[in-house]
Amino acid sequence: MQETTSRTRWRGWVRVAAGAALLGLTVALPASAQSDSTDAQPDLAGVWDGGPRARPVNGPNMPWTPDNFPVLNERALAYQHAFDEALAPKYDCVPSTPPALQYDPYMMEVVQWPDRVMFRYEKDDQVRTVWLDGRKPTPQDYSVQGVSVGHYDSGALHVVTTHFTFDITGFDDYNGIPSSQLKKVIERYWREGEELKATVTVEDPMFLREQASYTTQWLPASDGYKLQAYDCDPEAARRPVKFLVPKYR
Amino acid sequence: MKVMLWVAATAVVVTAAIVTMGGPASAHHASGPFYDNTKSVEALGTVTRFVFRNPHSFLYVDAPGENGEMVAWEIEMGASVMMSRRGWTPETIQAGDQIKVVGQPSRAPGTFGMCCAELTQPDGTPIRPARGD
Repeated sequence: MQETTSRTRWRGWVRVAAGAALLGLTVALPASAQSDSTDAQPDLAGVWDGGPRARPVNGPNMPWTPDNFPVLNERALAYQHAFDEALAPKYDCVPSTPPALQYDPYMMEVVQWPDRVMFRYEKDDQVRTVWLDGRKPTPQDYSVQGVSVGHYDSGALHVVTTHFTFDITGFDDYNGIPSSQLKKVIERYWREGEELKATVTVEDPMFLREQASYTTQWLPASDGYKLQAYDCDPEAARRPVKFLVPKYR
Repeated sequence: MKVMLWVAATAVVVTAAIVTMGGPASAHHASGPFYDNTKSVEALGTVTRFVFRNPHSFLYVDAPGENGEMVAWEIEMGASVMMSRRGWTPETIQAGDQIKVVGQPSRAPGTFGMCCAELTQPDGTPIRPARGD
């Protein structure tokens, strides 16, 4: 009886030690080595080129074409009708937000850690953190870029971003469509050969009748390229506005 | 040394501009509401400033107008982060340089803006950065 108890206790200590060793190994390993298989967690890290060599440059019909253009409700149509390009916040260096941000034709850097993925955008020096630790946004978390949480599944990074503040050009830079605090952006990132691919889907019951989605890609930036500081200059940003024929007087 | 304004087919101008400038004036905003792509203007004059910035760089050129008056042109160019990847620097064009600019005129009456411009030396030699990709 005493020998059985001792053996059971010994086995328990072995299990604890093995568990601790496994935990230590997990903490010590880089993010790319932690998944059960390479298929579960794609290697998205690096500097990615979203410019013209990777995809068509954004515009009124890109990435929102006649085939995937969002179905707007009456509220959105009214905003769009009243919209005046001169008051777009970008002319005061206010950054674009998802789903426009991902399609801006600039460089983007991705860094993967065990508990988060960082998306750093050269345009407007924007940084988005995708939390992988299961946290939930609080009512105090509303911001221009919202709060992003995510997880890896089937070789892709899945991201859900909510808690955006109202943005009068929050849908894209060209069509005068706003986005609300109800905007929800769902992203899926994966690798196809040397390309980084993403599907970006947006929901916003305040302005859209149904979700809208586009798929796009980036190519690796040239070797050694480091993101430059953007340092948006408000005077340079607003200067072209005087060349518009005013919509309102 | 004369500014000329004429209505023209723009495909050639736009194509030439893309070749010289390496892309549209800006991916920051559409050029259509600001500049008339059915017209082309030309200015031959002296650079007064080259502001190499984001989201748009601007080139300032003083050139004689149709009636001999001096016109201060403001030529919108690309974002400096994009231009620098093609070898442009703040010193690529300098105040005092003589330059010829052909591009789309701004739409607002009384303004002298230009975009999507082809930049050359007065003799037509293209102005190119030190390095191109």
